Amino acid sequence: MEATIEARGLRKRYGGTVAVHDLSFTVPAGRVTGFVGPNGAGKSTTMRMILGLDAPDGGTALVGGRPYRSLRTPLRAVGALLDAGAVHPGRRARDHLLWMAHSNGLPTRRVDEVVEQVGLGAAARRRTGGFSLGMRQRLGIAAALLGDPPVLLLDEPVNGLDPEGIRWIRGLLRSLAAQGRAVLVSSHLMSELEGSADHLLVIGRGRLIADTSVAALLATASGDRVALRTTRRAEAMELLANAGATVAAIDAETLTVSGLTAESVVTLLTARALPFSEVVAHRASLEEAYLELTGNAAEFTAVTGPAEFGAAADPAEVDATAGREA
Amino acid sequence: MTTTTTPHGTDLGPAGSGLGTSRVGFGRLVRAEWTKLRSVPRWGLIMLAAVGLTILVSLLSAAGSSFQRDSVAPPPVGPHGGQVEDAFRFVHQPLTGDGTITARVRELVAVEGPDQPWAKAGLMVKDGTAPGARYAAMLYTPGHGVRWQTNFVVDRAGTIARGEPWLRLTRAGATVTGYESTDGTTWRRVGSVELAGLPATAEVGLFVASPRADRVERQFNATSVTSSSTWSTARFDDVAVRPATGQPAANWTDEAIGMTGLAKPTAPGAGPAAPAAPGAPDGLDGPDVPPVALVSGAPDATGASTVTGSGDVAPRAVDEDLTRMSLSGALIGLLPIVALGALFITAEYRRGMIRTTFAASPRRGRVVLAKAVVLAGVTFVVGLVTCATAFLVSQPGQRESGFVAPLFPDRSLTDWPVLRAVVGTALVLALVAVLSLALGTVLRRSAGAITVVVLLMVLPQMVAGALPLTAARWMMRLLPSAGFSIQQTNPRYEHVASVCLPEAGCVPDSPWLGLAVLTGYVAVAVAAACWLVRRRDA
Repeated sequence: MEATIEARGLRKRYGGTVAVHDLSFTVPAGRVTGFVGPNGAGKSTTMRMILGLDAPDGGTALVGGRPYRSLRTPLRAVGALLDAGAVHPGRRARDHLLWMAHSNGLPTRRVDEVVEQVGLGAAARRRTGGFSLGMRQRLGIAAALLGDPPVLLLDEPVNGLDPEGIRWIRGLLRSLAAQGRAVLVSSHLMSELEGSADHLLVIGRGRLIADTSVAALLATASGDRVALRTTRRAEAMELLANAGATVAAIDAETLTVSGLTAESVVTLLTARALPFSEVVAHRASLEEAYLELTGNAAEFTAVTGPAEFGAAADPAEVDATAGREA
Repeated sequence: MTTTTTPHGTDLGPAGSGLGTSRVGFGRLVRAEWTKLRSVPRWGLIMLAAVGLTILVSLLSAAGSSFQRDSVAPPPVGPHGGQVEDAFRFVHQPLTGDGTITARVRELVAVEGPDQPWAKAGLMVKDGTAPGARYAAMLYTPGHGVRWQTNFVVDRAGTIARGEPWLRLTRAGATVTGYESTDGTTWRRVGSVELAGLPATAEVGLFVASPRADRVERQFNATSVTSSSTWSTARFDDVAVRPATGQPAANWTDEAIGMTGLAKPTAPGAGPAAPAAPGAPDGLDGPDVPPVALVSGAPDATGASTVTGSGDVAPRAVDEDLTRMSLSGALIGLLPIVALGALFITAEYRRGMIRTTFAASPRRGRVVLAKAVVLAGVTFVVGLVTCATAFLVSQPGQRESGFVAPLFPDRSLTDWPVLRAVVGTALVLALVAVLSLALGTVLRRSAGAITVVVLLMVLPQMVAGALPLTAARWMMRLLPSAGFSIQQTNPRYEHVASVCLPEAGCVPDSPWLGLAVLTGYVAVAVAAACWLVRRRDA
């Protein structure tokens, strides 16, 4: 069986709401594919359709070339973490894994192996009702790994993990991909995927916005922007705006300039004798790149957020800021 | 070594798990569901509550019931070993060896009390006159036409429903055969029986019986049954006894058999005509004997005779079903089991765990079936132990309450009707658990599923008293609660009218039919659940 996930023209509506519209993508083996989009973008719906839980209104989802519901021992083919809270609080973690193992004819030793692998250890003998969200996430990941599957689907696995846990799961995802598995990891925060995902599927309002490698996305989003640190911010903004650049204020001393090269900025500032402490070619964070992409597609646009700073291209806004500062 | 190829494949390439292939059959699913069921401690407590409630309520009902022992003699026992009613007016003579008795029933009317559909007038061959002795009879009833009845429990209908039928009994060796005729010349055989051990000389003659009338008065939560004796009078003619050899006996004896409390007639050596005169005293002088009872006598010279009788020749109908009473706790013990059945699936819906389940086993119908198998198995085993215990522990209480031999013979777990009731009650509990599971699957909410099942199982008996009798009876036999009829151990006979009160939990159907009704509901609910889970998004 190939370690892939393929979606072809997936569509799903709930009542009058379109949850997923004509979604097509492929998750290949051997790399971590991030599945990002704001809350309500359709990530979980898509994952449920891949797992045969929700029936698509149109299109197909194939795992290793087969519809999920035709798999007879699906845990050996696909490991999934959908909702870490979906466990009975009265059941011991180990029993939860045990029934799953039984249902797919997996040996009991696998239960002990995955318990160790996710670092649950002695907690596996405890009832899940007393688990923290982080422990539940680990249990959910253990369940996904139970059948040693070539394909993994993890919905928001980083949720609730402490920094140590986040580092652990990044390493885990990378090593799973390195073993040749196809790994699809969803998140509504691009920063969570930074450092683990190789490829990104960006989704907004049920539509695929970008299907790109992380490097390509960063290159696009970074553009030809320049970051500038100066104590005389207002004067610098005016000068650079008059020179034809688009300028955004990041904080009291930092500006982002687009439309001019770093050399031009230095030349202009020197000519006016405006002091500056730093001029660097801006490298966009994954978060900024993502926000640039989803700015239009987000169901819920943040009222106050870094969006205003990251990619502001409206001269009027810059002027207003400059005016206040002046 | 054989090579197994798996079309869906677990050969995972570089990332392959190396866990090997394994056939995942239904047994795996059952094992998974069993793991789920046993690993939630609260569910074990719910099961324990069911056990405790069942036994406790059974004990209480045994201690709370009472039976007043009056000084009546123990009822006669028929050839089949069961208690019988054997009270009737018998105008008879001895018949030695083979022979035939023939008579025509001209009329059978109630003279005291309401008309009884099962009043009987006809011919009888009986092994003496002791109550309970073996017999064969051809008889006419106002409500059910001509019947062939032997040894209390056998009843077969003739073809003549009304009119003035001719009846005949023929004895050949130990075999007695009954015939009916509309004209006295063309005879049709209705039934035949071998009365093993019938002595050479048996009593043959005319008999009349008229069962007690039960009047049921029902108001909400108050039902009273009053029972009174009735008397019926039959006119016979063309009475003829023809022995195969020799002459018929000259003398008839007019006797009231087994009429407890009524004095026996004294008519030894009465001539054929003498007691036949209307109003002639025949010795019945007990306090409960109405004047009409005196209108009775042996056939006159033309073979005409009038006989007035009371009582019944039939198996004894017992109102108190002690086995059912000792299992009555199951109706309450059912409630926790209903909750458990629903929770077994609704707990998964509530927390979204159903998605994990259906992702692990995409053939969802089989998941529902595996749950049903596990739940039914566990409930049946626990129910069986509980019901057997409830039966055993309520025995002493019942005896203290007055239910003692000979009226209420001791029963053992291994008696078939008791065993059937105990095993059947465990089956009912298992079926109800599955019904609750199926409704929980359909509704995805425990509150709704539990409410519906409890209403279907417990409510009918509670509201039966408020409904008209016919409606209440149909409700009891059509709703799933009919399954409780498996607890009934008293045999019921078509030819014995009985008061079957729905509010007392009586279902007029046979034990197995009631269980079949419940099974039907469960099958439909499970089918609906399997269909829905396949269709619906998880």
